[in-house]
Amino acid sequence: MIVGERKPFDEITGMLNGYKKVLILGCGTCVSVCMAGGAKEVAVLASQLRMDSGIQEKGVEIGEETIQRQCDREYIEPIVEMAKTYDVVLSMACGAGVQLLSDMLVPTPVLPALNTSFIGICEEEGVWAERCRGCGDCMLGITGGICPVARCAKTLFNGPCGGSVNGICEVSKDTPCAWQLVYDRLKALGKLESLEEIQPIRDWGPSSSGIPRGVYREDMAGVAVESEGSSK
Amino acid sequence: MTDTYEPKVIAFCCHYCTYSAADLAGSMRLEYAPNIRVVKLMCTGKVDVPLLLRAFEDGADAAFVGG
Repeated sequence: MIVGERKPFDEITGMLNGYKKVLILGCGTCVSVCMAGGAKEVAVLASQLRMDSGIQEKGVEIGEETIQRQCDREYIEPIVEMAKTYDVVLSMACGAGVQLLSDMLVPTPVLPALNTSFIGICEEEGVWAERCRGCGDCMLGITGGICPVARCAKTLFNGPCGGSVNGICEVSKDTPCAWQLVYDRLKALGKLESLEEIQPIRDWGPSSSGIPRGVYREDMAGVAVESEGSSK
Repeated sequence: MTDTYEPKVIAFCCHYCTYSAADLAGSMRLEYAPNIRVVKLMCTGKVDVPLLLRAFEDGADAAFVGG
């Protein structure tokens, strides 16, 4: 899932300075699961902002709403007219949700209430960890399901480096060496021999180092338009 | 008027324990401070952050959760 964290309260109130009618819009998918931007977090932030408005005598009106996803048009469309009755929309989605919402709500401004952290997993209650950088060329099949792009500080493809000491990365004593994890996993899988294969220089073309990436599915793109046309 | 600050305390009490204790205190004619407002819940597992914040929004100075 996309993991996010709510921005500091002072930063949020700073962004909202001058607006009198604010809609807080939650997202019911990733950031809801990581307890940063779902319905409950919307209720908490709304309550805090109402109290702040009362104490500072700002007279701000706060609206609350949560939709299933802010990264899909079909979920935003039903709330567009309602959202445009506000001076500003404070989105509690990830950066993708904020951007699509901004596109669809012009001229109503959309502000981010979260910082988008990473694509990751929940390790235990209250602890999330990065697992994927979305590099576009997955090599988990040859590393036993441990990603060296996301989890090795040097993004090595033929590790470990000399900085791996007792299974710990030299960059941080709290970070396990990804390549030690790869070794241990491949050993457990009985596939250690795959480490003998030298990985070639990586083509970073599919990664995020260039222009914004996109996925085009020939079998799907335009299908909705075609079916709409045929039903008329 | 008194200058003594008397905070309004809202007490969220579990039906099965704390509320029963408060009820028993009443039966025993024991007194507790009048600035406490008791709200009975079937379980304090119901208490979450929005509920506590709502208490403060509505004028409580402190919230007490007993369960």
